[in-house]
Amino acid sequence: MGIQEQYRSEAAALLSSGEVKLVIGFGAGSTADRRRPLFARTPEEAQKFVLDAACIANLSTYLLAEGLLSDGKKVGVFLKPDGIRSVNILISEAQLKPEQVVILGYAIENGKDVAALEGRNISDFSIGEKIRNLTPPPHVIEAAEKIEAMSAEERFEYWKEEFSKCIKCYACRQVCPMCYCRRCIVDVNQPQWVSTSSHTLGNFEWNLVRAFHLAGRCASCGACDRACPVNIPLRLVNYRMGKEVRSAFDYVAGENSDQKPVLASFKQDDPETFIL
Amino acid sequence: MSEPFEPKIVAFVCTYCTYAGADLAGTSRLKYAPNVRIVRLPCTGRISPMFILKALQKGADSVLVSGCHPGDCHFTSGNYHARRRWTVFRALLSFTGIPEERIRFSWISAAEGAKFAELINEITDDTRKLGPFTQYQELQKVIETQSSY
Amino acid sequence: MALFAPVPETLSTQGFRMAKIGVFVCHCGENIASKVDTGNLVKALSDHPGVEICNEYKYFCSDPGQETVKRAIRENNLTGVVVAACSPRMHETTFRKACAEAGLNPYMLELANIREQCSWVHSDKDQATEKAIEITRSLVEKVKRNNELKPISVPVTRRALVIGGGIAGIQAALDIAGAGREVILVEREPSIGGHMSQLSETFPTLDCSQCILTPRMVEAIQHPNITVLTYSEVEEVDGYIGNFKVKVRKKARYVDMSKCTGCGDCIQKCPVKKIPSEFECGLGNRTAIYTPFAQAVPNVPVIDKNRCTYFKNGKCKICQKTCQIENCIDFEMQDTFEEFEIGAIVVATGFQIQDTSVYGEYGYGKYKDVITGLHFERLASASGPTAGKILRPSDGKEPETVVFIQCAGSRDPSKGVKYCSKICCMYTAKHAMLFAHKHHDGNSKIFYMDIRAAGKGYDEFTRRAIEEDEAEYLRGRVSKVFEENGKLIVRGVDTLLGKPVEVAADMVVLATAIVPQPDAKEFAKKIGIGYDEYGFYNEAHLKLRPVETATAGIYLCGACQSPKDIPDSVAQASATAAKVLGLFSREQLEREPVVAAVGEATCAGCWGCVSACPYNAIEQKEIRDRNGNLVKEVASVNPGLCQGCGTCVTFCRSNSIDLAGFTEKQIFAEVMAL
Repeated sequence: MGIQEQYRSEAAALLSSGEVKLVIGFGAGSTADRRRPLFARTPEEAQKFVLDAACIANLSTYLLAEGLLSDGKKVGVFLKPDGIRSVNILISEAQLKPEQVVILGYAIENGKDVAALEGRNISDFSIGEKIRNLTPPPHVIEAAEKIEAMSAEERFEYWKEEFSKCIKCYACRQVCPMCYCRRCIVDVNQPQWVSTSSHTLGNFEWNLVRAFHLAGRCASCGACDRACPVNIPLRLVNYRMGKEVRSAFDYVAGENSDQKPVLASFKQDDPETFIL
Repeated sequence: MSEPFEPKIVAFVCTYCTYAGADLAGTSRLKYAPNVRIVRLPCTGRISPMFILKALQKGADSVLVSGCHPGDCHFTSGNYHARRRWTVFRALLSFTGIPEERIRFSWISAAEGAKFAELINEITDDTRKLGPFTQYQELQKVIETQSSY
Repeated sequence: MALFAPVPETLSTQGFRMAKIGVFVCHCGENIASKVDTGNLVKALSDHPGVEICNEYKYFCSDPGQETVKRAIRENNLTGVVVAACSPRMHETTFRKACAEAGLNPYMLELANIREQCSWVHSDKDQATEKAIEITRSLVEKVKRNNELKPISVPVTRRALVIGGGIAGIQAALDIAGAGREVILVEREPSIGGHMSQLSETFPTLDCSQCILTPRMVEAIQHPNITVLTYSEVEEVDGYIGNFKVKVRKKARYVDMSKCTGCGDCIQKCPVKKIPSEFECGLGNRTAIYTPFAQAVPNVPVIDKNRCTYFKNGKCKICQKTCQIENCIDFEMQDTFEEFEIGAIVVATGFQIQDTSVYGEYGYGKYKDVITGLHFERLASASGPTAGKILRPSDGKEPETVVFIQCAGSRDPSKGVKYCSKICCMYTAKHAMLFAHKHHDGNSKIFYMDIRAAGKGYDEFTRRAIEEDEAEYLRGRVSKVFEENGKLIVRGVDTLLGKPVEVAADMVVLATAIVPQPDAKEFAKKIGIGYDEYGFYNEAHLKLRPVETATAGIYLCGACQSPKDIPDSVAQASATAAKVLGLFSREQLEREPVVAAVGEATCAGCWGCVSACPYNAIEQKEIRDRNGNLVKEVASVNPGLCQGCGTCVTFCRSNSIDLAGFTEKQIFAEVMAL
């Protein structure tokens, strides 16, 4: 039995036994190589789940749909390691209760094979070490290094060009599991911290603020990159932030589910070479 | 430019240390460059990165963020939290091309009036060399979605 | 969920009114007006939107000045006031009071600091004026968004901590205790008494130091309201005025305080007898188990762990065998910690004298008979190593000629300290007198820069030294002290005669500089007070708030603040006691309402603020619907605990917390107006 069939029947079993009220997984997409989220509430619906190498989205985002978990019932969800990582972060930020999340874990190997991950509850996945060693795809690192090698002026021009494309659709925010704020700072108009005028400054501010808010919280799933309709390489900034918190504070987001937020904790001997 | 460039510097400081240090520079009648505008906050913990971005938008050519030395914070640990934010924010600015030289951080105690005066002079001189930060200010002229779409 | 969350009730503008701001530009005499064109400032601000009235005046802090402000508030129904004058640290309270008296909420005021941070630091009038305009304008924008606030009441713990058991600390403790309040007096040495207990006689009355001090020491330790903790140090200070939490380390004495009778048998029998006594400045010896001096309070010895034979070799315990009380001497004793709830702290940590070996030319450390003033005190003291006889440390002979060198460290920016140590002129005159009284044929020669004898009975005292006791004052500096034929040759200059002089002396006494305790700066950091470039503790205002620190609830007295003699130390100690008792006269304390508040509608309950808060002031609060079902949990700030740092505000990604007095709106407006 292939993993897809195995997970279909497991999801169906979870639903028919009443252990979970919903399983979030993947269904067929609009084209042969695309998948879209599928929300199964009955064992029958669970038979429509697809699980293959095209299932790359981080479905943990949907766990935060307002009201979904407020009845205390459990929800099943298909998650890759980056998804498990985001669940860890969300638990540490009190957005999820670990006992409410049943994980159908899988990993995509070599870009084509799908392997099952052992375990059902977040505590089963002691993947701290794995997450520590998780690296974004080589093209992300390469691109980030290329930017770092530029002069400040070139970097500025690069991002100015990129950010000028932004249409403020906020797809990056909507798709990100970490953007669970009930009110985003960009929607605060008293005061209007992020400019809404039709110039690039506001885009610059929006993207800087989002990157700052994700520092030490990004699960590196790449959802923002894929969601961006104008192809701004958003992931690069988040990758750079993750690198910084790691090198400065030895902090890896989502390593476990009881971390303190990196920007709401400190060590007395944190580095400060730049402070005069 | 025929006129010598007078940089605009905005300083975000905590009231207990650096603001008091700046007052001490005054009571000691130390002279320093008049280019700085001080915004007083209770603690460096209150200084949001947004303040820095807004200052740049309003034409600051350099920004100084300053508070109590580690261990001296009136609020015991506001400055430690601030230090982490600065580390991260600074990396972010640098990565997006906002030169590190324009955003400076310092610890200045209530007793360090001289350090305050010297630092303001130093930043003013350095910023004069860097020139105005028109690159950022001109973002307000780039209209969105027109460049490649 | 509401799309647009209401701002927290405490921060919303109560009954929105069109801004009518009054701007008052102070000249501060010439202080501001000489560098800032106040006329231009008034003109620029008068045209600013929302500014109803803009005036200038010579001194707005004066009575008529404040009356002008009050009248303007009443007549124009002002909604906010900006006073462009000195630092808010100077006169914010003054003008808040004026606003309140005119019926305006006192928090609808901002001070534009155009003196300390403008006119006093800039020379170019145009630039200074431009800066003053920008500062004032941005604060007008801020004050438009100020909220009416009410002070917060917090309880006051009416127990004082006095740190340092010298004369200043003892006096402060006695005064506070005498008024019926509890005092914890912490001293790090084995006995209270401080430097005063080392002195022989005191100026300007020549009464014996021990004779006047010892009764005070005894009174302190016997006082029912005073807990004296000797051989103890303050480890941690948390909290704030009225509500400090203080952790004290009680160092292991190895002698049980509750059992020891102070018989001194152990001291007699201790085999390690040749330890230079700190109290005698090395002129006498002490044992490994010791009390610093005979009149020590408490009269309970301590074991010097580093010198004790048992602690070094594991054998001896003679003291324990000698002691007739069971388990009184306990070699297993450990440091213990005790925590106290404290309402006010008096810092009286005292001073040290400067190490004079930097003055190689004076031969200190090289010649045994070149000593410091403190050595001389011990020699002249009846309880000292020579029983009050002035004898040379080198050979025990009585000196004929003694040379005193004043300002041996003080008023010397190149090698010593820049400041005047204040007490040396007086004690040098005293030393000359004591020497004359004890040795009728002796000569005293005093090299001095100036005789600074300001104080009640002080000038008369120095005149007496010169006229009755024939001290010879030579105005000039000493360049070198060297030995020749058994004499100390003091080579200097008499600037009044304009001639070099050489004096063959038998003893040279250096009036060394008073310096802060070596750990003064670290200690200041620990308890959260400021210090100057030397390490003397900073008062809140040199003239007008000389015993308060910038940290509310912490007060200063004695030489930890600046060099001081006994009368000044005692006066200042009583002043701190008055401050402490003033604080303790109230059960509740009004505190600045600069506290954070949570916008519950938008709070996502991530608890980052809880983790960031230095005061554990943020709690989790359940929001329930009308049927009692849990809707969500949100952060909630306890305003009694919140100190208003704003760390939570900056952390909050959804902008759901704000800080009264420094709201996001206020700061935004302030920055955008720059």
